[in-house]
Amino acid sequence: MTLSVEKARTSSDFWAEFARHPVAVIAAVILLVVIVLAVFAPLIAPQDPYDLSSLVMRDARRAPGYIGTAGYTHILGTDSQGRDLFSAILYGLRISLEMGLLAGAIAFSIGALVGCTAAYVGGRFEALVMRLVDLQLSFPAILLAFVVAALLGQGKGQLIVALVFSQYAYFVRTAHGAAAVERNKDYVEAALSVPMSGWFVVTRHILPNALPPLIVVATVQVASAISLEATLSFLGVGLPPTEPSLGMLISGGFQYLLSGRYWISIYPGVALIILIMAINLVGDQVRSQLNPRLKR
Amino acid sequence: MTAPLLEVTDLCTYFEARTGTVKSVDGISLHLEKGEILGLVGESGSGKSITGFSLIGLIDKPGRIVSGSIKLDGRELVGLSEPELRKIRGRDIAMVFQDPMMTLNPVLTVLDQMTLALQAHERISDADARLRAVEALRKVRIVDPEQKVDFYPHQFSGGMRQRVAIAIALLHRPKIVIADEPTTALDVSVQAEILVEVKSLVAELGISMIWISHDLATVASISKRIAVMKAGKIVETGLASEVLRTPSHPYTQSLLDALPSRSKPGQRLGAGANDIDGESAARPIAAAMADPSFVAMDGLVKVFEQKRGFWARLGERSGLLKSKKPVLAVENVDLTIAKGEALGLVGESGSGKSTLGRIVCGIYQPTEGRITLNNSPVMSAGPQPRKLTTNVQMIFQDPFASLDPRRTIGQSIAEGPIAHGLTSKAEARSYVAEWLKAVSLDPAFADRYPHQFSGGQRQRIAIARALAMRPDVIVCDEPVASLDVSIQAQILNLLLQLRKELGLTLLFISHDLSVVRHLCDRVAVMYRGKIIEVGTAEEIFDAPQEAYTRALLNAIPKLA
Amino acid sequence: MVAFIVRRLWQAALVMLVMSLLVFLGVFVIGNPVDVLISPDATQDIRNRVIAQYGLDLPIWQQYLHFASNLLHGDLGRSFVYNMPVSQLIASRFPATMELAVIAVLLASLIGIPLGIYAGYKPESWTAKVIMALSILGFSVPTFWIGLMLIMVFAVQLGIMPAGGRGETISVFGVPLSFLTFDGMRHLILPAVNLSLFKMSMMIRLAASGTREVMLTDTIKFARAAGIHEWTILRRHVLRLISIPLVTVFGLELGSTIAFAVVTETIYSWPGLGKLIIDSITSLDRPVMVAYLMLVSLMFITINLIVDLAYAVLDPRMRHGGGK
Repeated sequence: MTLSVEKARTSSDFWAEFARHPVAVIAAVILLVVIVLAVFAPLIAPQDPYDLSSLVMRDARRAPGYIGTAGYTHILGTDSQGRDLFSAILYGLRISLEMGLLAGAIAFSIGALVGCTAAYVGGRFEALVMRLVDLQLSFPAILLAFVVAALLGQGKGQLIVALVFSQYAYFVRTAHGAAAVERNKDYVEAALSVPMSGWFVVTRHILPNALPPLIVVATVQVASAISLEATLSFLGVGLPPTEPSLGMLISGGFQYLLSGRYWISIYPGVALIILIMAINLVGDQVRSQLNPRLKR
Repeated sequence: MTAPLLEVTDLCTYFEARTGTVKSVDGISLHLEKGEILGLVGESGSGKSITGFSLIGLIDKPGRIVSGSIKLDGRELVGLSEPELRKIRGRDIAMVFQDPMMTLNPVLTVLDQMTLALQAHERISDADARLRAVEALRKVRIVDPEQKVDFYPHQFSGGMRQRVAIAIALLHRPKIVIADEPTTALDVSVQAEILVEVKSLVAELGISMIWISHDLATVASISKRIAVMKAGKIVETGLASEVLRTPSHPYTQSLLDALPSRSKPGQRLGAGANDIDGESAARPIAAAMADPSFVAMDGLVKVFEQKRGFWARLGERSGLLKSKKPVLAVENVDLTIAKGEALGLVGESGSGKSTLGRIVCGIYQPTEGRITLNNSPVMSAGPQPRKLTTNVQMIFQDPFASLDPRRTIGQSIAEGPIAHGLTSKAEARSYVAEWLKAVSLDPAFADRYPHQFSGGQRQRIAIARALAMRPDVIVCDEPVASLDVSIQAQILNLLLQLRKELGLTLLFISHDLSVVRHLCDRVAVMYRGKIIEVGTAEEIFDAPQEAYTRALLNAIPKLA
Repeated sequence: MVAFIVRRLWQAALVMLVMSLLVFLGVFVIGNPVDVLISPDATQDIRNRVIAQYGLDLPIWQQYLHFASNLLHGDLGRSFVYNMPVSQLIASRFPATMELAVIAVLLASLIGIPLGIYAGYKPESWTAKVIMALSILGFSVPTFWIGLMLIMVFAVQLGIMPAGGRGETISVFGVPLSFLTFDGMRHLILPAVNLSLFKMSMMIRLAASGTREVMLTDTIKFARAAGIHEWTILRRHVLRLISIPLVTVFGLELGSTIAFAVVTETIYSWPGLGKLIIDSITSLDRPVMVAYLMLVSLMFITINLIVDLAYAVLDPRMRHGGGK
């Protein structure tokens, strides 16, 4: 007999535990700062990278600290089109977060719904869905995203489709796994023996209890969607060159790297890493707090 | 007089937690003579297992031995370095754990595991290790040890696995074996065999043993001397026969009073200081049962198809693969329960009793046959079966798993009655309060979550949830199996009282015959999916007809 | 066991069939290869002739059957761009990618697994915390960016490594390999490290969490109670218990590393399959895309098959069909 040691801790307990881990707290603060910077980019950035009329070719590829034609200091330098890198990075973070969160949210919804339903319904539907998911999971996300993005062409919508397509299977599998465990627990059988309707049992009992592992997967997947978006844009199958995506900025600086103009590739990369790392660190802490097996 | 083999004085093992110090073992003293089996009894949390681990120096962090002395043959063990302790572990003091499923490494053969244990203390060639391993298996009476030594743990049954674990513990002929609940996970008949064999092994090898258990009866049947532990302290030590007959400590007395096997059937059990008030319950007279086939099971069969994927089925149809055999869990069961009756369903693990209970409750659809309540079917037929009645409810074994951890107990209790119109959302609070009071819980508990309650309280909540549906029949699936005896007594008292007050019909599923005898009017014995014997409690317990029933009854350890 | 293998082979064949359909349809719906094949100012007559020559005027199901039967005969068609048989093209690029991927996965496993086991064995120690922090960094940093940084530091600033290309190779049974020459080794090292960092982080985390959970089980407690040395426990008990999930990951990672090589090969101008597929997508070289996808599918299915068999060998519970 196994006793369930999982405890439905109240959310205040959860944050108290979280607050005891300085690394996670710092990561959470950094994440918040990045989100604020990204959201208020139009107010903070000295330049609008979408506004092509503000670009001056004479300002292109200038080192950090250069005072440009417009009269302000380019604290992180400028890129090959003369864009202020600091502004472009802020707008780039905006795109990264937008793509990552949108793709993550859509994949999460599809995954939670399909996974929980499959676990509850069982039988042929479950077998078919899980077969498909297993098949898809045996191919790496980057390959799927790359092929779909290449097939669909450049653009925000297309990219989100590619990201969702390459990631939803992780959510389905996690939701299915968690829901299948819950499905066989006594409290679900108790509800069924009342009897409560199937819909009630799935939405009120199974889904809420299957959420913690899904949230953990979601943090990992949002981080990896952001990384994927940058990678695809770097390879030229992601966003169009007019968007100041971080991957695009890095790719644009690649050719100048060998001639010592390091800043064009480095600073967007650092911004990207800070964002992804902060999400992963927060996610890692949440994971270890939600894993009952590592608790004593 | 020579010094005892093992002498423990004022041993304290504390756990430093953020919330404070937990004194798991709080100044115990005991001694063990050569060739002796000492029984160490206590309820969960009494510190009996930590005592065992302290003796071999295997306390998990943040626990540690803070004071006291452990002398083995006059040698002090407390304060020894890890390498020195390691030399003692397995060679001088060995240990056997509760669940043989968990202790043996599933991916190593028995021979591999024994070789590792042998090489821990001596240089030995592979050929010699094999001989020793075979010999060790033979000693614990494993048939055909030459072949079995190459088996993996999963190829043995539960009882056999525990024998293998014992064989590993005996490899170096240790002076002392500490056995921590070694038969708790096993069926009674297997437990009985192991008890007999351990006794004879101890005599044959001249080793000493500390047998740790929550169960007074098993301890009494294997050890001459017992020690009773409570809250980190030993409250009483003495010869088993004397402690059981004339306990000197009130705690021991209350443990004995809580045992159903020591009281008359239907009588109120002593349940310790925390017991709820209630009048003395008496068993309803069977003659009052007007409707003999209130619940009728008619030719029930339940077959579990092995889970197979689409491809496997395709493979089977095309003849490429052999088909897997379906599992026949319940085989042609005809059984009736009279209105107001308590029917006990007993059997060992895997007998199909839980599956049958779930069919009666309308959780599983029977593959064949019909289950009716008051002549109307419990479940609809067809490929998408639906439960038709709310008049059968269930109480489950594990009170930790049977309540949704993310809903307050008020929500859990109210959801069914609201969905089925027994109460309205507006009146749910008072409705819940009424039922919490019925199981002697504070109505204010309704807003709390399950993890804030103890096992016994959760089981009461589960009972309240079942009762709130105003059922005629309650199926109880091992409702007291995971509870300490004193809590078990409280729940049994509650069930007896509710039965009397509400005229409930019970299907009571249990592996514990003494509990069934205490609570039930009639008993059905289940073996491998079939009901092999049905009769009144007196008939089954006093004059069993079937050999299996007799064996089952004989396997129960008796208190002196 | 035989039944198990037969069943898996049977599944693999079906999956390949499904994949061929999906790939064919997926590639069919995008772009018109005629635009690539023929210059825009060609006459309608030439246009029609070319279309007929490539069978592009047939109904789609006939095109599929044609494609599938060619596939079964090992004929993957001709590349529009390179104007050579695709099978030859792929055969010439495959060894480079394989070499890179195998070395990267070996690096990741040989370094990652021991570090992970250590971190899981002593989770409270400082070393373990540093290892775990580095592993988070490792999978947070996008592969392409760390590739650029490695070039910048080792090729541009220090000038001790070449920035790209494959270097000198030695032919072994007709297969050119880099790691046998000093020059080839120098060219191999940066891309291999680049490719392995992400995988290494994953291996560390998997080994660490596996070890941590195994260390809490009664199996380990029982082994300790028998007086077995910690080192022996780690080597014989823990390693065997965590090897089952690790082998799965090892196999799948080998596959995904080959796919990930797309990025690394682009950055280091490594003449492998990854570069080929990028080029063929940008130039709409349909036969190459189809062949690449089919090859990758075949590879993944083979790897999955081998992993399943390895599972059965490593886990006696599966081998004997008993237990759970």
